[in-house]
Amino acid sequence: MSGGTPVVHIVDDDAAFLVAVARLLKAAGYAVRMYPSAAELLTNLGDDAGCVVADLRMPGMDGLDLQGVLSRETNSLPVIFLTGEGDIPTTVKAMRQGAEDFLTKRGPKEDLFAAVDRALARDARQREERAQLRLLHGRFGTLTAREREVLRHVVAGRLNKQIAADLGISERMVKLHRTAITTKLQVRSVAELTRLVQAAGLFV
Amino acid sequence: MSWVTIIWSMTASACLTMGALNLLVWSKQRTAWANLLFSVAAFGAAAFAYFELSMLRAQTPAEYGAALRWGHVAIWFMAVSVVVFLRLYLHAGRLWLAWAACGLRTLALLLNFMSGQNINYLEIDSLIQIPLFGESVAIAHGVHNPYTWVPQASSFLTLVFGVDATITVWRRGEHRKALVVGGGLVLFQVIAFAESLLVIRGIVRAPITLSLPFLGLVIAMGYELSREVLSAAQTARELRESEARMSLAVGAANLGLWIRDFTRNEIWASDKWRRLFDFAPSEHLTFDRVLQRVHPEDREVVERVMAEAKAGTGRYEMDFRLSLPNGEVRWIASRGGVEFDAEGKALRARGVSRDITANKKSEQESRLLRQEIAHAGRVSLMGQLASALAHEISQPLGAILRNAEAADLFMQHASPDLDEIRAILADIRADDKRAGMVIDRMRALLKRNELNARPLAVDEFVADVVSLTQADALARRVKLNADISSGLPRVWGDRVHLQQVLLNLIVNGMDALEGSSRPDRQIDVAARLNDARMVEIAVTDTGRGIPVDALPRVFDPFYTTKPAGMGIGLSVSRTIIEAHGGRIWADNDPRGGATFRFTLPLAEEAPPS
Repeated sequence: MSGGTPVVHIVDDDAAFLVAVARLLKAAGYAVRMYPSAAELLTNLGDDAGCVVADLRMPGMDGLDLQGVLSRETNSLPVIFLTGEGDIPTTVKAMRQGAEDFLTKRGPKEDLFAAVDRALARDARQREERAQLRLLHGRFGTLTAREREVLRHVVAGRLNKQIAADLGISERMVKLHRTAITTKLQVRSVAELTRLVQAAGLFV
Repeated sequence: MSWVTIIWSMTASACLTMGALNLLVWSKQRTAWANLLFSVAAFGAAAFAYFELSMLRAQTPAEYGAALRWGHVAIWFMAVSVVVFLRLYLHAGRLWLAWAACGLRTLALLLNFMSGQNINYLEIDSLIQIPLFGESVAIAHGVHNPYTWVPQASSFLTLVFGVDATITVWRRGEHRKALVVGGGLVLFQVIAFAESLLVIRGIVRAPITLSLPFLGLVIAMGYELSREVLSAAQTARELRESEARMSLAVGAANLGLWIRDFTRNEIWASDKWRRLFDFAPSEHLTFDRVLQRVHPEDREVVERVMAEAKAGTGRYEMDFRLSLPNGEVRWIASRGGVEFDAEGKALRARGVSRDITANKKSEQESRLLRQEIAHAGRVSLMGQLASALAHEISQPLGAILRNAEAADLFMQHASPDLDEIRAILADIRADDKRAGMVIDRMRALLKRNELNARPLAVDEFVADVVSLTQADALARRVKLNADISSGLPRVWGDRVHLQQVLLNLIVNGMDALEGSSRPDRQIDVAARLNDARMVEIAVTDTGRGIPVDALPRVFDPFYTTKPAGMGIGLSVSRTIIEAHGGRIWADNDPRGGATFRFTLPLAEEAPPS
């Protein structure tokens, strides 16, 4: 987990352009970090919040490859692509893979700033979602195997009596398990429980 | 001949046999608790049959009392194991009833040894002989133990437990199980309960014969268990069948199988898999050893994908390269899944691997070909140069723009960093110089645009172009025919330039067929030696032909009939052909398409000076 100021990671094999874009973003008040290649970025990427501004065409690992790898990382930062001349098939492919934005290298700087702001906002949102999900999984982790089994039946909408018969335990035990489940998961109603199970992606 | 001895001995031996069989099953399969419990119950029944026989044959009250007392030990084993058996086998019945029945039975056993002669009689004062199967047997007469209600209550609770479990199982839809096992228990319990009430209390003068109905229950339970053995045999047969089918499919699909056991850190792999990864059939496999076979550049990815699958995703699918000891590189497609236990711990991974080297190779080749065609699509030299120029120059221009904008923003700061701004200005100058150099280089390239002519075999250079466009033609559903005789004399020309001309004509022809619904969408490339002793190459399409008024202008620069055309291809083609000393022209084909022809001088004639 992390916090702190989000960092804009800039990747471009053209040193002059790399420095120029970094300067522009720095002048506009962003914290920036520069990398001459995608590999360099991947080895030095921590788990700080931020986004990536990458040249689409680079020798070795290009922008699309970088995005592919990043999307599988735990810290999957949003990627904004810069390109000399945007050709349609590449743009479409990049957007399909979930590129935050796709800008030409000499487009208006306001577009670049707006894209960075959007990317940072999206990163913050995704970070929040991931933290939420981890928290949920943590809570579900405290359930015993039996409680999980009872929970599975409860969210399937079964009555205590049916659950008791299915699991071969008494109705009173089912009630006890249910109380334990709702206490551990900090919920009050079955509806809330079902929503939580769905959010955590369990039993699907 | 004593019937009593025969019946009780046979009951005991029947119980012993079934108990031994089930004990054997359990010893082979330690999780088969039902079989173990069954055998305990059966042995208990056999023991009790022995004690019963002792009671029937008892000569003194003391003998009778001792047999009854030890008989209760056998009863304890029978009762408890039957209750637990039911609970485990039927997965039904209220747990507290089971506990209560077993608890009371245990209490009864304790009281049996602590009060009176046994739990039934404080004291047996005399034996009464009554007739049974034509001989006389003993029954007891004496003072009843006040705790006799304890085992009776236990029997009653067992009965209730059995009824409850049977109802649950019946409702669950497992009618046979409910009838045979549940019904058997209930029937036995009713008999046992009635007997203990009537006989022990002396209401009916009859011997205790519990082991006979219990034999019935043992048979019911044994029948049920043997069904499971039968169905296991059936399953085993089906499994063998499915394994045979599986190995047939795996063999046909050329798949290598492997299973990795995480707890024992072992890998089992099929022979095919070992051949794929170049391991000997008996070689011991570990994940690290397998990883050593993976190409160094792919190792990390393979490791990560496997770790991810193990950590939670459960499934994986990947392509990677092997780097074999003999230096061969092999592409492998692998997919599989991880099996977890109830706590989510990874137990084992299973997967299949397939050799996809050939696919990868053809994939690569066709990608290369496509790239070449796309590249050749922008056929004119000018077009290529312009695009290269634009790309090369946009980098420094972009840097200049961003630097200038950055400087602008820095200037707006309260105390601008002048060093930074100076650095920016220096960079802008350097980038401007870079852009200038790109333009100079392009200019030099344009100047060097001379012909590099030499003798060329017509069939070969046509075949080169046709193979380059064949895939594109296929994708655009155009039939591309080229029938060039290898007997034609060689021509004098620049191979690269002439290929561009021919490529341009073929691509134009395909463009002309675009939107045509004729079934014979085709392009013919032909060559012949004409009367003027020049080789004439003709490209004919089956499109709509060229409008008559456009015919004289198609080779003019920037003239085009195509919506997205630039009017460059044919004009460059004419420049190239004329530079070779040839001629290029177009006419409409009588069959309804267009034909483009160009001529080239023969190599043995004097080359144009």
